[in-house]
Order: sequence, then structure tokens, then C-alpha cells
Amino acid sequence: MPGRRRESPLKNPSRAYIALGLEGSANKLGAGVIKHAVDGSTEVLSNVRHTYITPPGEGFLPRDTAQHHREWALTVIKDAVAKANITMHDLDCICYTKGPGMGAPLQSVALVARTLSLLYEKPLVGVNHCVGHIEMGRQVTGAQNPVVLYVSGGNTQVIAYSRQCYRIFGETLDIAVGNCLDRFARVINLSNDPSPGYNIEQEAKKGKRLVPLPYTTKGMDVSLSGILTSIEAYTSDRRYRAQGSPCEESEDIITPADLCFSLQETVFSMLVEITERAMAHIGSREVLIVGGVGCNERLQEMMGIMAQERGGLVFATDERFCIDNGIMIAQAGLLSYRMGFQTPLTKSTCTQRFRTDEVHVAWRS
Amino acid sequence: METYYYSQFNHAVVHVALFDDVTNAAAIRSRIVQAARNLGVDGNTERKAVNFAFIDARLISSPLHLQTAIYQALLSEAQGQLRTKTVHSEILWALNPTNNITEAIRRYGVSDESTKLIVVRVDVSNTPELQRRMCDIIQGRMVPFQVLSQMTDWSIIKKHYKLDSESALKEVQGNLDRERSIIDNIVVSSVAMKSVMT
Amino acid sequence: MLSSSSSKPPTQQLLQSADLISQGAEAAIYKAYLRQFSTSGHGIGHGAALEALEPVLLKYRFRKHYRHLSLDTSLTRQRIAGEARALMRCMRSGVIVPGIRMVDVNEGVLGIEWIDGKSVRQILPGGAELEDISELGEVDEIHENGAADSIADYGVSRGRTVRMLIGSYSTSVDALMDMIGVEIAKMHLADIIHGDLTTSNMMLRKQTSDLVLIDFGLAYHSTLVEDKAVDLYVLERAFASTHPDSEPLFAGVLSAYEKRMCKHWLPIKKRLDDVRLRGRKRSMVG
Repeated sequence: MPGRRRESPLKNPSRAYIALGLEGSANKLGAGVIKHAVDGSTEVLSNVRHTYITPPGEGFLPRDTAQHHREWALTVIKDAVAKANITMHDLDCICYTKGPGMGAPLQSVALVARTLSLLYEKPLVGVNHCVGHIEMGRQVTGAQNPVVLYVSGGNTQVIAYSRQCYRIFGETLDIAVGNCLDRFARVINLSNDPSPGYNIEQEAKKGKRLVPLPYTTKGMDVSLSGILTSIEAYTSDRRYRAQGSPCEESEDIITPADLCFSLQETVFSMLVEITERAMAHIGSREVLIVGGVGCNERLQEMMGIMAQERGGLVFATDERFCIDNGIMIAQAGLLSYRMGFQTPLTKSTCTQRFRTDEVHVAWRS
Repeated sequence: METYYYSQFNHAVVHVALFDDVTNAAAIRSRIVQAARNLGVDGNTERKAVNFAFIDARLISSPLHLQTAIYQALLSEAQGQLRTKTVHSEILWALNPTNNITEAIRRYGVSDESTKLIVVRVDVSNTPELQRRMCDIIQGRMVPFQVLSQMTDWSIIKKHYKLDSESALKEVQGNLDRERSIIDNIVVSSVAMKSVMT
Repeated sequence: MLSSSSSKPPTQQLLQSADLISQGAEAAIYKAYLRQFSTSGHGIGHGAALEALEPVLLKYRFRKHYRHLSLDTSLTRQRIAGEARALMRCMRSGVIVPGIRMVDVNEGVLGIEWIDGKSVRQILPGGAELEDISELGEVDEIHENGAADSIADYGVSRGRTVRMLIGSYSTSVDALMDMIGVEIAKMHLADIIHGDLTTSNMMLRKQTSDLVLIDFGLAYHSTLVEDKAVDLYVLERAFASTHPDSEPLFAGVLSAYEKRMCKHWLPIKKRLDDVRLRGRKRSMVG
């Protein structure tokens, strides 16, 4: 496990542990099986995901998303268990996302977790979604004690570990960055397949013109709602051509690609800036990007330049681990399970609001 | 006379001198006007003779005030961003809180009634006999800069910078030294930040 | 006459000859002299000694290469302008802040008055090497002048009331907390939010023992009670994390602040209590 510099409270297990993780806090339903071996190594046995994709111009609503999760739960879990080449009886615990996230989808998945727990007599472990991202990111990249930028559809946080707690140093004061990108994708009618953010990224590569947008960092926090309003306004600008392709600078037009480019450049600059501020504040040289927006290669590139100029390193994961998945819930859940934590059935609720810094990170020194 | 050296501006040298009891302000002013109008060879010689910035000393709150205006003028010139014709007129522009060039020259430049003048010469190296050339133009008494504080007309400065109702000054009412140091700080800072004031 | 295409821009040359004081995430801080000076009327060649006049502090917002060039350029301009304007607004409202000495937005440099003194963080126990200050005996004599940056310059203590002796002026910790409260109140009455109030961002000037607020890099204009309350909360946290037994210290700051704010205090007090309860951040939906 990472964090070997000081003695870790987490000892190597006397036998192998296996956990199932279930995630469904937003429009992805994920199930994954993880194994912690006697030598302290960690192995991903399976990582299965199914995404609820809505038509272009539409977001996902809690009720429909919950229904999607219910329809796919058994298929996805069976698939994960089969790919892991284990049976349900081999599990040590069943981990599920306690929050934060959308209420109805969270509850559907928690219900499945509870049912499985009773059926197979396995203890439950409720997991904080954000902590899941952080622990999986640390596991995959081997980053020791990084500043974490957690960027997804519902979250935008700059986090650093301090005394058994993931402290939030900075965050969005209004909407999350993924939400900002997704909503703009809807405005310009980009496809939600595989994800609106991915399509914004592809579109941005064709953009040339940087339009002025508000740049709103406040200390280590950012505000994004003003940018969304402002970029939306450009779509009714007389220079805007919905079908226009970015062409020579001689023509004074604004294309959807230009707007995607401008949005990314501005928003990501803000994120890199607050991350750097946090790194300077705590004197860290490592940065880890997690969450769905963390797959964005332009964000990774910008973060890389910043880290390099500070003589540091950036760690990022690919879409298997960046985008919501079950394995991260299994990883974080198994870590706390090994420290003796369980969620009794009567307390196996969900919560839409669950701050990253509320979790007692018992497994780190 | 004082001399400032600036290694960052290609080793520019700036000479400044303070004159009291000036009796020929009107003549100086008309020479400047003539030199600007006269385009021929005569004009060139005349322009050389009056190639200084003449500043009404009553409006200068401290040597730092003057130095700051000189600095920002040097910077504009080096960056090719002069708003006026010469670095000398740029000093006058820098001293005035508004962007109106005519107003800057009228307020801060020499007027027919001026009796207390600061003369500034920006140069690339030490000019021989500069002090004599200053004295050739100005009929008056060169005095050390320590005297400047007695010449300053604080009420006009307060008016130009709209400081009369500022809370900073109300706070120290009655304490003249404190009030003047606050005014000086505001005025110096305003000159330094003029390029980003609005 | 002075413009030269081949050599470096003047401000870059100035930085080159300056002393680097500290290097932060967005800016580097230098100590520099804008000009050298002689009263003789004769030049360098004539052997006259050149003196530098007062030093200035240069804040250099260097280029961020991760940012798109035009975005970086316009941000740097905005921030230098913003910081200068916040300082000016403070000055006009009677808040004691460093004066502005030069601005070069093209090169990203803001030059301000050099404050000779120590930060409140260094002066208070726990902030620096003065941790065992309470063990020192009281010294009654006034030190001649503050030539050396020794403890004696700033403070010798007995118990709670550290006496700070600077030149011929002395003050106590209580008086220091009082000054902090008053300066912040004046700033908030001018609707300036500092954005990064810590004991490192306040200095006690050596000659006059003025309390000077510094580093307005994150400052902004706001009339909101919320922003003022958060400003105070940030300082409270800074006190708590840097100085042991900070509670009575910060209480001193607040009581002077309250007195100065008069009728504006009550809404801010209420909001400050709210902010303390929730922490700086509001709870977010995942």
C-alpha cells in the first residue's frame, strides 16, 4: 500500500481479502471485485460498468437513472463476479456507495447491496464516493501523498490528506465542473455517447479562437456558474455559427468548437491554479487527478506543465478508473473493513450530502 | 541639482533641479510654444535649448512624487508606449490624474505666473554644462530639494486628486504632518498606478 | 531615445539586479532599487558615490505556461490592476497599506513600498523563533534603535502582555490586537475584502509601529456581509493554526473591530457565527 514512509496503521493481511464494490451515485452503474493479497499487493479481479445514456440535449433524471440501475444491477454484478472468477461466498464484504450523489439511484444500489448482504451473510461497508476515487487513484498510480484534484459531474474539490482526514482545501462555490461541461454540451446539442465531456474535448481540439469568459478563482475556490451563463450567451451572439467550422482568422465568426476550446482553456486554467495554490500551501509536489473529468487529456496536459514547473509530478488514471466505477468503492471499502469498520444493516442508509472530510481515514498514518 | 541613474533604462541619467523666485516664467512658456511651432533649423536649436520638463513645483508633494512620474515616463518611452510627444511631456502627463494631455500641461507645466519651478532633463549620459544651460533659461535661484516641502500647495493637490472628503484625511484632522504624509502616499501611488487606474 | 530593440525590457533588467526574497505559486517577491542617486551634479565617472534611494518590493507575476498565452496575459494585467486598485482604495479610506511605487503590466510587475519591520506572525508567540518568549524577563530600558533584527527589537515579555519596544515606541500585545481589529474594520468599511488574512500578511513597521496590512493579491470589492464574515473567519483559523492560546488574542481583534464597525457589526457577527458552524464551505450535493 502507498504511504509507507511513516508506519501505516494498515498491516499486511494474514490471508487474502476479497471485496465487491457497487457504485451508482450518478448515471453509471458499476460493480467490481478487488483482492488484497497477503504480500500487501492489490489486484483488480473485475471492473464492470454500464452507463445510462440519454439522447442529445437531455440530462439524466434521478427517477429514470434509478430505473436503469435496477434493470441492470443483476447483469452487471453477475458479470463482475464471473469475470473475477469467484463466487459470492468468497467475498469478505460488500461495499456500496453511501453518498454523495443522486438520491434515487443511490438508494436502488444500496437496496441491492443490502439484499446481497442478507442473502450471502456478508457484512456491508458504506463508502464515501469521493474517498473511493482518491483511494483508487492512489492505488493505480502509486502516488504517495498527493494533492488530489477531484473533478466530476457532481464534484470539484482540491483535497489533501492531513491527520486521518481528506481535507478539502478548495472547491466549487456553485456548480461542479463536469456539470458545467455537460450542460454546455446540451446547449450545443453534442451527443451524450460515450459522455458529453468526451465530446466537448474532441470538439475543443478543433477550436482556435479564445473568447473572453469570466475567470473566477477565489483563493482556493472556484465559481463556475457565471462561466456557463457567459458561454451560453455566445451561442446567441451574431458572430456565432452553429454549423460553422473553425476557419481562417480572417473571418470574424465563433464556432461551437471555439466555444468548447474557450470553455476548457478557461475552466481548466482555474482548476490548475487552485491546485497549484494548494500544493504551494502544503508543500507537496505530487498531484493526482481523479473523477470523470480527470480523463480529459487537455486537463492532464495542463496539470503536467504546472507540476513540471514546480519540479513535481502529475498522476492521472484512464477512463476505467477515472469515471465512476465499482472497483473504487471496493478498494476504499476494503481498506476500512480491514481496519475493523462495518456498516450495520440498520445504518446502511444513503445520503445525498456526504462531505469528503467527514470520513475517518483510519488506514493511513 | 540632483541626478538619478537608471541602469535598467540603458543607463539613462535624469537631472532635476528646483528653482525659486523665478521671474521669467512667461518668457519660458512662450519659448516652449515657439520651439514647438517653429519647424526649421532655428526651431531645432530652440527645441534643444528648451528640451526639459518644466514643472510647477507647488503641485509636487515630495521628491518621490517627482521620481515616480519620471519612472513611469521612462517606462512608457522604453516600451514605445508614450501617450505624448516626448518623455518630458510624458512626465507632465504622468503627474495629472486624468488622461487629458492639454490639462496636464496647463496644470503641471510652467504658467505665466509660475515662480517655483522644477526642471527635469532625461538624457542618455551626463550632459556637460547642463546646470549652466538650465540657469541660462531660468532667471531664478536654484535651491536644494529640501525646500520643496515649503513650496507645496496642499490644497490644490487635494483638489486635483479629489481628496477633500476622503475618510483617510478626516481621520487625521488637525495633525498636519500625518495628513501630508497620507496625501503624499496617495498621490505618489496614483502616479505609479496611472496605467491601470481605470 | 531610450528604447532599444536588442536589450531586455527594463523591468526584466531590474528584476535581474534585484534580490529574490520569496517565490510563491503565482508570484516571486524581490527587493530592488528603482534608481541610484547623487546630489553632486557630477556623474559616475567623476568618482561621486552613488546611493540607492528607498528600496521597493517587486511582485512579479511570472508567466504560467499551462495557461493559454492571451488568457495568461489578460489575467496578469487584471490582477496587477486589481491589487493596485485595492491598495489605492485602502489608502484613500485610511487603511494603512504599502504605497505603490511602479506598475508594469506588460512584464507583470507591481512595485510597492518596502515595509521595514516584522510580520505579526513573527512577533507573536508560536509564529517564529519567539516561542519561549514568556520565559524571558522583563526589560525596561528602551533599546537605542532597531538596527539589528533581534528579539529585543520587537518584544520582551512577562506573561500575556508582551511588550514590544521599537525605537522609542513600545506597545503591548493587547494594543497590537487592537490595531489589527481597527485596520481590518477600516478596510471592511471601504468594502474591500482582503481574501487572505493571516498573521503573515500584517506587519509592524519598525520606525512608527504602524500596523500595515500587506499582500492584496486576492483582494476584491464586495459589500456582502458574508464576504466580510468569511474574511474574519479565515483570520480566526489562521490565528488558531499558528499561535497557541490564540482565543484571547483573536477576541481582542474582534472587540476592536466591533467598536470600529459600530452598527455594521451586528449582521457580520451573526454571519460569523453561522460561518463558524458550517466551516467556510457550504455542504454540496454529490
